[in-house]
Amino acid sequence: MLGPDTAWYLAVAAVLFGIGALGVLIRRNTLVVLLSLELMLNAGNLALIALSRHWHNGAGQIFALAVMAVAASEVCVGLGLVVALNRRDLSLDVDTLSELRG
Amino acid sequence: MTGGSWLCLLAPLAGTILILLGGSWLPRVAAGWIATTSVFVAFAGAVWAFFGVRDSAGHHGEITTAWTWLQSGSFKVGLELLVDPLSAMMMLIVSGVSGLIILYSIGYMDGDEEERRYFAYIAFFVFSMLLLVEGGNLLMLLIGWGLVGLSSYLLIGFWHERPSAVAAAKKAFVMNAFGDATMVLAFFVLIAHANSLSFGVLNAHLSSTQANLVALGLLGGAVAKSAQIPLQTWLPDAMEGPTPVSALIHAATMVTAGVYLIARTHPIFEQARTIELIAAGAGALTLLVAGLIALVQTDIKRVIAYSTMSQIGYMFLGAGVGGYANGMFHLMTHAFFKALLFLAAGLAIHALAGEQDIRNMRGLGRVMPFTKWCFLAGALALVGVPPFAGFFSKDPIIASTLNIGWYGYIFYACGIAGAFLTGLYTFRLWFLVFPGEPSPFVREHYHDHHGREGAWTMLVPVGVLGVLATVGGWIQWPPLWEPITHWLAPVAPTLAAAEVSSTQEYVTSAVTVLVGVAGIALAWAIYSEQKLAIPAAPFWRRLLENKFYFDALYDRIFYAPSAGTATFLRREFEEPVVLQTGPDLGEATLETGGLVRRIQTGLLRTYVLFLAAGAAGVVLAFLIAK
Repeated sequence: MLGPDTAWYLAVAAVLFGIGALGVLIRRNTLVVLLSLELMLNAGNLALIALSRHWHNGAGQIFALAVMAVAASEVCVGLGLVVALNRRDLSLDVDTLSELRG
Repeated sequence: MTGGSWLCLLAPLAGTILILLGGSWLPRVAAGWIATTSVFVAFAGAVWAFFGVRDSAGHHGEITTAWTWLQSGSFKVGLELLVDPLSAMMMLIVSGVSGLIILYSIGYMDGDEEERRYFAYIAFFVFSMLLLVEGGNLLMLLIGWGLVGLSSYLLIGFWHERPSAVAAAKKAFVMNAFGDATMVLAFFVLIAHANSLSFGVLNAHLSSTQANLVALGLLGGAVAKSAQIPLQTWLPDAMEGPTPVSALIHAATMVTAGVYLIARTHPIFEQARTIELIAAGAGALTLLVAGLIALVQTDIKRVIAYSTMSQIGYMFLGAGVGGYANGMFHLMTHAFFKALLFLAAGLAIHALAGEQDIRNMRGLGRVMPFTKWCFLAGALALVGVPPFAGFFSKDPIIASTLNIGWYGYIFYACGIAGAFLTGLYTFRLWFLVFPGEPSPFVREHYHDHHGREGAWTMLVPVGVLGVLATVGGWIQWPPLWEPITHWLAPVAPTLAAAEVSSTQEYVTSAVTVLVGVAGIALAWAIYSEQKLAIPAAPFWRRLLENKFYFDALYDRIFYAPSAGTATFLRREFEEPVVLQTGPDLGEATLETGGLVRRIQTGLLRTYVLFLAAGAAGVVLAFLIAK
């Protein structure tokens, strides 16, 4: 097998996912939160492809393609929301967007 | 002849459906004409069926089955109609008299807010009644029976903005429902022991207890529908309906159903002879009580209503002693003259803008001569003065009690006393309302209809019924000629006990007429000439004005305990338990919600944290489980 061991790929994916999750949890800017979400999705993609190669099973790659499609549409919606917020002169701080508080 | 019976049954139903579907598209006048036409078509069907029966061999009748309607094991009930002499006779009476009354309604109800609803109901009523008399088995009869109760409820309460009309409608419905229930119980006994509800099963041999129970149940239904003691109190109140409804329900159709039922189910009553004599006794008692109460009524329709109760008492007496043909003959003549009396009274009420108090009506005959003479014909027929119809039909009933045993003499005395009372109360009404100079009230309120006493649609039925009330009785004059007795003999032959000799017949006739005329003479002396004062007798007067306290008694026995229980439950259960539970539940829910809602911070990070923690928890759980 060429290249490093599967475990390395998974480790990188885990680190990426962790960074993304932390970004979602602690950053307040909507754009950065979206970026962090993308990071988490791509960490998932990396894990899928690594395991796909590990098990010699193409399904993982197909999954990765589907995740990319989801990510693309999510970016569309997310960025659309950001633009809409901006147009209405609303803050991009996620903590101020708390209309749904019980 | 079966085609005639289906035509007769379905034409009024078609009329109802047409009026209901037409709704407000239909001009107001059209509804009345549709109803009238449909009922006259039914009459044509009845004539067709009548000739069919007449020409059939043996006159035994025929059952037509549309389809099997209910089947459960070996028990089977079909959607059947029966055409035989008895049902053909009833079909003719019901559809003929109803047709005239509905024609009259066109004039009477003209200008009412809800004419279309009225005509839809009244055509439906005729349909129900025809189903009752044509039903080919006991279940079909019961369906008609129940529908008659329903449509009478709708018609009595037609003026639903009057609380008294609504109360009267409810009262009639509840009393009738009581009778329906006893009938259903009788049917259960029949199904349990004979496994059938066809009329033939009534001939089956039942043990005497079973026969008594069945007959008692049927008698309960008959007594409720025909307003006999002890279930009579609904009939006078039912006068709250429009006058043509009173004529239809309380003269020609509904209340006579009990007599029809006894004639139709006579085999079971003959097995349970005691119950049949109880029916006769109830009739004898009712005819006296109703005749007495009628003496003090001041509402023109109520006087006639009590006289209806009294006359149906005669029919029960006749049918109860076993002279079914006598009862049916009196039913027929009574349909003529009682419809006439009601419709003539309706003319007076209509012309006086709704006034019904006879004390205000003195001298009405001067301005309404046609009404006066028609009413007189009806009154003479009611009292039984020859040659008017009641004379021929009432006397055989009274005579037929002579040979049944010692209690027959009591019935006989009741019948004679009833004839006297009939003369007295009928002509009290007559002398108070028609002769003499018009009273100031009449002068002030009388208004004619384009120079006549009413619309022609009202005058024609009254005239036709006036002729029928005069000549309608000539069809049978026992013992000289008895076509009705012979006609009904294949279905309901007169019991041997109710046969009387010619001498008894003639003597009874003479006595009854004399007594009736004596009643008229007394009424003349008191109310016209005022030679005799009305006897003071305050106790009796109070007793009669309170209708023998039947209403008060039923209030005490049935209404008061249930109302008391309801009040008690409201105070002790409804208010503390039921009413308090709702708010309590609401508050508890609010409090719980207040606790839970703190989780919903509205902060994105909290939600993500819960998500992440949840996912971690799931992973951990899987790891541990592995």
